[in-house]
Amino acid sequence: MEKVRVLLVDDEPSFTRMLKLNLEKRGFTVMVENNGAYAYTVAQDFMPDFIFLDVIMPDVDGGEVAAKLRRDPNFKDTPIVFLTAGVSREATKAKGNIIGGQQYLAKPVTVDEVVATIEKVMKKKTKATPASPRG
Amino acid sequence: MPPERLHELSEIYPGVARGGVIDQFETVRIRRDGVHIEVSLSIMPIRDRNGRVTSALIIMRDITAAQLALQEAAQSSEKLSDRERMLKRALVALRESHERAKSAQLQLVQAAKLESIGRLAAGVAHEVKNPLAVILFAVDYLAESIPNPDGNIQVALTDAREAVGRADSVIRGLLDFSTATELSPSEQDVNKLVRRSLQLVRHSLTKSHVFAVEEMEEGLPSAMLDRNKIEQVFVNLMINAIDAMPTGGTLIVRTRRDRLTVMGSDVGVRKTDRFQVGQSVIVVEVEDTGTGIDETARPRLFDPFFTTKPPGKGTGLGLAVCKTIVALHGGTIRIGNKEGGGGARATVVLHGIRSKEGQSDGEGAGPTRR
Repeated sequence: MEKVRVLLVDDEPSFTRMLKLNLEKRGFTVMVENNGAYAYTVAQDFMPDFIFLDVIMPDVDGGEVAAKLRRDPNFKDTPIVFLTAGVSREATKAKGNIIGGQQYLAKPVTVDEVVATIEKVMKKKTKATPASPRG
Repeated sequence: MPPERLHELSEIYPGVARGGVIDQFETVRIRRDGVHIEVSLSIMPIRDRNGRVTSALIIMRDITAAQLALQEAAQSSEKLSDRERMLKRALVALRESHERAKSAQLQLVQAAKLESIGRLAAGVAHEVKNPLAVILFAVDYLAESIPNPDGNIQVALTDAREAVGRADSVIRGLLDFSTATELSPSEQDVNKLVRRSLQLVRHSLTKSHVFAVEEMEEGLPSAMLDRNKIEQVFVNLMINAIDAMPTGGTLIVRTRRDRLTVMGSDVGVRKTDRFQVGQSVIVVEVEDTGTGIDETARPRLFDPFFTTKPPGKGTGLGLAVCKTIVALHGGTIRIGNKEGGGGARATVVLHGIRSKEGQSDGEGAGPTRR
């Protein structure tokens, strides 16, 4: 079975490095980008199945990156989950990890929670859009 | 002599004729110019050598001016007393408004303090949560990478995870604090919110062997409340109560309506007063059967970062958040020991918006025990 490709966009290199190590250990293929401004270009090259986006980044924030990705038909249905340090875990959990219609994970988060989120979202997506060819 | 005083002749003079003396009898006479004057009359009988009263010495003194002066003095004294009473009332009012001003100033200082803490919190949260996330991922990675970790390694990893959790809970408290500035109020049933909050602490109740008693007055007026934030208040108060009973006990959660009859620091007759005398309010009480609150701790209970819980257990932000949230709702919160001891009681007073159908303010259906 093909490995799930995960793109991590976060301006904190140690955060993406640690998450990449963990996700690769769990069998994911991971690409990292620490600058929001390059996230779209990297996504075009990498063609992720799943994208984690930091919300607050210095140049281009997560919201802008997500909007640009959504405008591209290639990423129209690619699951995007925001990772944020700006809200409490209780706040995100209480709202089913969704705030303002967007799915969030509140930092700090365990690897198990990250993996569970990817699996849950991918499962939902497979049910909704079966066998859509990539590219 | 005025005609209405003629009777004095028959009352006074026979006595004088018998040898009696009249000393400073005050009455009214008519002067030659026809003006009525007040006089003081003294009459002494004059006897002949045989001792018979033959005539009398009458001394009549015009005391009109003196009487007027006396009346004026009495009136002045009355006026003085009035003024003194007014001054006393003014002094009391002045003292009250001074107290109000002092408490308003304290509240302002406190609000400014809280606001700056809130702003700081949001910034700190972002800066601290990222490193915490890195540590947690690193711990997770090490836990999976070390093939057969010995006991010490496992302890180290567990301790590190727990330390991250603790730091995160402080940050979470700060974030709650910083976000406790805006409300999304909607019409709510207070009893429902209290019951939901009880559900949320059910696990802690069981773990601490605490038995919960509900004493809810049904048919309370609904209230405009931010559901999540008020639930956060109730949950915080319940958790505090449970933490105060580490070896078990009873948590009593009570709701009732009350009519405010006594003036106080938050109850008055002015529009600016938080509550008005005569107003019907909703009262929520959370009681425990623990050891109560140390009197020295009471003044600081609502201060941010003040806690009486053991290290690592409380962040000291729970009650500060509660106070901010309740104040945003225009309500009050106070915490003290129960009368007669045997535990503490937190009391939250909230504004009700209207009575439920068929019931007017003040007519409760009575509490129900569960």
